[in-house]
Amino acid sequence: MSGARPVLALLLARFTLRHARLAPRQTAALVAIVALGVAVFLAIRLANRAAVASFSHFTEALAGRSDWVLQPPAGTLPETVLAELQSALAEHPAQLLPVVETTATPPAPADSAPGFGRPAYTVLGLDLIALANLAAAGGPGARLLDGAEPSTDGRGRDAAEFWNRFRAGPQAWVSPDLAPPPGQPVFLELLIHERTHRLPVAGVIPAAAGGVSPPPGLIVVDLPELQRLTGRPGQLDRVEVILAAGPRRAARQAEVGALLTRLAGAGPRWEVTTPGARRETAAEMTRAFRYNLTVLSLLALLVGLYLIFQALDGAVVRRRAETAVLRSLGVEEAVIRRAWLIEAGTLGAAGGILGVALGWAGAQVAVRAVGQTVNALYYATSVSSARPDAADLLLGLALGLGASVIAGWGPARAAARIPPAQALARHAPPSEGGWSREPRIGLGLLAGAGACATLPPVPLAGGGAFPLGGHAAALLGIFGAGLLAGPVLGGLARLARAGGQVHAAARIALGHLARPSGRHRLAAAALLAATAMTAGMAILVGSFEHTVEDWIRRTLRADLYLSSAGAQSASTRNRITPETWRALAAHPAVEAAAIVAAYPVRIGGVATTVSGTDLSLLRRRADLPWLIAPRDETPFDAARNVGLALVSESFAARFRVAPGDPVRLPTPAGTRTLTVAGVFTDYGNERGSLLVERAHLAAWFGDEQAASVSLFLRPGADPSGVRAELLRSHSGLGIYTNGALREEILRIFRHTFAVTHALEVIGIAVAVAGLALTLTSVLLDRREELTTLRALGFTPGELALATALEGAGLALVATIAGLSVSLGLGWLLIHVINRQSFGWTLGFVVPWGQLAWLAAGIVAAGALASYALGRWGARLPADAHE
Amino acid sequence: MNCGLPFLLPVILALAPAAALAADPATEAEDFAVPQAGRVFTFPRDHGSHPDFRLEWWYVTGHLAAVADPGRRFGFQATFFRQAAPRPHATEPAGAFGRDQLFLAHMALLDVRSGAFRHEERLHREGWAAGAATTTLDVRNGDWSLRLRPGAGPGEPERLDLRGGIRAEVALRLSFESRKPLVVFGEDGVSRKGAEPTAASHYLTFTRLATTGVLRLAGPEGPEEVAVTGEAWLDHEFSSSQLGSGQVGWDWLSVHLRDGREVMLYRLRRADGSADPASRLTWIDAAGRTSVQPFTWEIQRLWRSAATDAAYPTRVRVRTTDPASGAEVILDVEPLAEDQELTGALGGIPYWEGACRIKGADGAELGRGYLELTGHARPLRL
Repeated sequence: MSGARPVLALLLARFTLRHARLAPRQTAALVAIVALGVAVFLAIRLANRAAVASFSHFTEALAGRSDWVLQPPAGTLPETVLAELQSALAEHPAQLLPVVETTATPPAPADSAPGFGRPAYTVLGLDLIALANLAAAGGPGARLLDGAEPSTDGRGRDAAEFWNRFRAGPQAWVSPDLAPPPGQPVFLELLIHERTHRLPVAGVIPAAAGGVSPPPGLIVVDLPELQRLTGRPGQLDRVEVILAAGPRRAARQAEVGALLTRLAGAGPRWEVTTPGARRETAAEMTRAFRYNLTVLSLLALLVGLYLIFQALDGAVVRRRAETAVLRSLGVEEAVIRRAWLIEAGTLGAAGGILGVALGWAGAQVAVRAVGQTVNALYYATSVSSARPDAADLLLGLALGLGASVIAGWGPARAAARIPPAQALARHAPPSEGGWSREPRIGLGLLAGAGACATLPPVPLAGGGAFPLGGHAAALLGIFGAGLLAGPVLGGLARLARAGGQVHAAARIALGHLARPSGRHRLAAAALLAATAMTAGMAILVGSFEHTVEDWIRRTLRADLYLSSAGAQSASTRNRITPETWRALAAHPAVEAAAIVAAYPVRIGGVATTVSGTDLSLLRRRADLPWLIAPRDETPFDAARNVGLALVSESFAARFRVAPGDPVRLPTPAGTRTLTVAGVFTDYGNERGSLLVERAHLAAWFGDEQAASVSLFLRPGADPSGVRAELLRSHSGLGIYTNGALREEILRIFRHTFAVTHALEVIGIAVAVAGLALTLTSVLLDRREELTTLRALGFTPGELALATALEGAGLALVATIAGLSVSLGLGWLLIHVINRQSFGWTLGFVVPWGQLAWLAAGIVAAGALASYALGRWGARLPADAHE
Repeated sequence: MNCGLPFLLPVILALAPAAALAADPATEAEDFAVPQAGRVFTFPRDHGSHPDFRLEWWYVTGHLAAVADPGRRFGFQATFFRQAAPRPHATEPAGAFGRDQLFLAHMALLDVRSGAFRHEERLHREGWAAGAATTTLDVRNGDWSLRLRPGAGPGEPERLDLRGGIRAEVALRLSFESRKPLVVFGEDGVSRKGAEPTAASHYLTFTRLATTGVLRLAGPEGPEEVAVTGEAWLDHEFSSSQLGSGQVGWDWLSVHLRDGREVMLYRLRRADGSADPASRLTWIDAAGRTSVQPFTWEIQRLWRSAATDAAYPTRVRVRTTDPASGAEVILDVEPLAEDQELTGALGGIPYWEGACRIKGADGAELGRGYLELTGHARPLRL
């Protein structure tokens, strides 16, 4: 082996590199395929991470990391807990940081149509005076009142000035991104609940010690001012506990944690968590959603893997003659194999690097889409950019390299094993990869897929579940069907050829397809996989959309829907005040008004929502889609339904309850044990919801604010006219007519699948590129045959047509097979993956028209690419290299 | 006068340029009460808070020794300040987050043997975190408090309880019992600070408080409990304007003499370093009677703070007359540690407040004291 190294170097220079130089476009295409696969995966990874990271524990920017966070499981904490906590902590020096938090949006322009998606700010109410103590203690506390007015020279302020500023009424300190440009009026218009407040911008929140800059979209207001603005005097959203500096911090933290937990009592009055745990909860909320995106992005890489294999395999075949000569000259198998693997690895590395760059760019687009979905469904996020770290770069490289080396392994082995004598025959059959031709393996994988589909989901911390079996089934199914693509292609082509007289060009095409080469089989498999995935998702989305439309049609019966115009995301805290909803209900055009209250609650540490409305009105006015209907009318009778709750399907799945089971609901008035009386379908969010009579909820929460109001108008009233009139008198309300709300819901719905669609399109593009790559190799392989055909009188046009037909035929078969597989995949997505991830029952609806367009598009793209290649191939001289 | 500091958000005060002082309006006390001669004090009400005055403080300083090891000595300071916003104030109660009064508090402990000086500052608005009762002495800031506890039974002396600490490093639990009657400084109940009619305060003091309690000192192996005894001094002062025009700060000294008498002096400083005529030195005899005597103030040594670059006259020779004998007396003030500066991280007003020993002309120790030096880093304005 002592001579192996120089021989390998020589091989790489004279053999491998020469080919790369001679066929730059093909090399570039290969690199691009690897890059695309890596990029898709990385973009989704970065976007996911950014969306999760954007869940900020906002107080951190101002007060540093708290040791403990006390959060009520439902509603708010009364201010009186502060004194109680203080005296309980008498022997444990700590600062208590009460927090009021809300969301706010800029007011909508007067003439704008209603719609979600305006920026949502997080408004924190903190005690501006007490905050200074943290800074004084050497912590990162921000001293807002000090650094407030950069416009003054920082001198000459005196006590009177301080007091004037401190007592000037509500004013805002803002993140740098909200800072008004110099010279602009320093006011911030904020819609909180249903009112627009014009707050003077008192200053920009400085970066905390340690350089932690405040998260974007953060506004800080003095705590009592925010209590007033949100109509919650005396109420706190949480209390954070920051231990005094000193020795034994970890031990003290544990002691204080235990003390606070004891103090919370049974019930408990508050949950004792840490900022890290709060962030973890946010991550849990979106985990199922993010995992599913990641799996989809990996499928794109998988399609890429097919293609790399195929391209390298083609190269092995094309270089058989050279390889045979090398073997004859005594070059060892191992050296040849290594040269091939190095080639594959180099392509992979180049693709990986390019992929990282592309992924970075792609993430900037993906992050907005992911962020918008997270915002619409989970919590307020203002994520707008994603940045890869060193680990991402390495991962991208490793993925590219790994995929290429795995894909190149087989071809490299095949190349090394070419017997010298056989290889000298130029038309020797290409390597066939024995096992992959075996239909039984494909059938076996399909059977495995079926088995995986029946597996239960993997439970996730925080109440979610990940359908591992479902995803495995999808993977096995696509693989298995891919392996079967070759035999099906050959069989169909033979059938067509036997079918009778066809055009000469078609005969040539069918001749090739009837004996599909390994490359044909791979191209068909890749296209099949991409088609199946895309069509499968289309079936899922179509079914989902159909189900949601049906659900909307049955449940949305009111004429007008009202919420605070500040309600811009799933996590909104903006509400309608009792005065306003009473005025709305009393409007002469209104026949009935359904008032809906909603509160986020945590049951056993798992976040969900409790809603309240007039259930008898709901019964009369809407056609509730029941999964399990209540046995009688008791749940709809306010006089008798005090201990009853209706739960959504997701709630039933997450908390594993069925009618008759008890649910312990935490409320500010103590825990209420409710009995599940029925299960309804709901597609709002996978955290589920609990529905009770509003009057009871109002009593338990000591609050009459409404999350939304539905108005049923008297016959003859014009909804648009009433809407316009109400908007004039209540400018802080977002008012939808029935039709507008339906459209808006569907718009949000489609939006959430935007990322998915993008991933599909990339998959198809990669597969079509793979088809073109296949045909390139095939044509190069056949250059002598082409010369012969030309000599026989075939025109270049006819030869191009033959190639186009070959490509189109392959695409057609792969697409049809892919569509068949997609029916199974769609079923899997709807009944296994979606059901297990989100707990939603969906009807199975196949969007035939959409699938037909998809199929036509893929076949046409395949045919066009093939025709173009055919024209190029028809002119190939017999001795052309790659 | 043991005056505390302005406990405004310090930056505001501290940065006020000297030029602004000259324009100090005599109307500063507008809408606030001005100390009135002949005021009749009632107790315990007048130990409590007086929100009709702009400024108020309760200021405890003292020397402690470990019961088990009398050679192990400590100096401590616990100060509670109140400042009111300009009038008018809200008519309804402050609630949990008031806006009309701010409370600042300082806590410091000197471990004489090691020279370690620890201190902490707190600032809170009136409300759940801070406040002061108007019926008795009950002032709190965070988990620090100073409270008057009535005697357990008839004839039992009332006590003062101090709960305080410095971060998680020191916890103070001290109890005080007065050995002498309450002293009201000034003439006819008014302690004058300058020529303006408003520059005055009501100044009430327990000059000698027998002190017992526990210090809990945190260490890496856990807290160490040190039972202590000693003597302390409590100033309670309220006013609406503490400095006259042209004054940039003050130096204050309290002395526990071994013979059972005390001396208190404040020297109101002008920008040129000279003393304002309103400066006073008062002797308190064993029965609590006061006698004002002339004094001179000679700086023996300046100590320069590395933290603030202020130069403090930490060694001072005070010459005065003993009212009992009519003889001249020299009181040499020597700090138990040079660095007893409160750097004003929160208040923005650095000052030096430290435990001292007091020696006579012959070098013999006459007693112990506390020295306060303000306005040496920047001019003050109160």
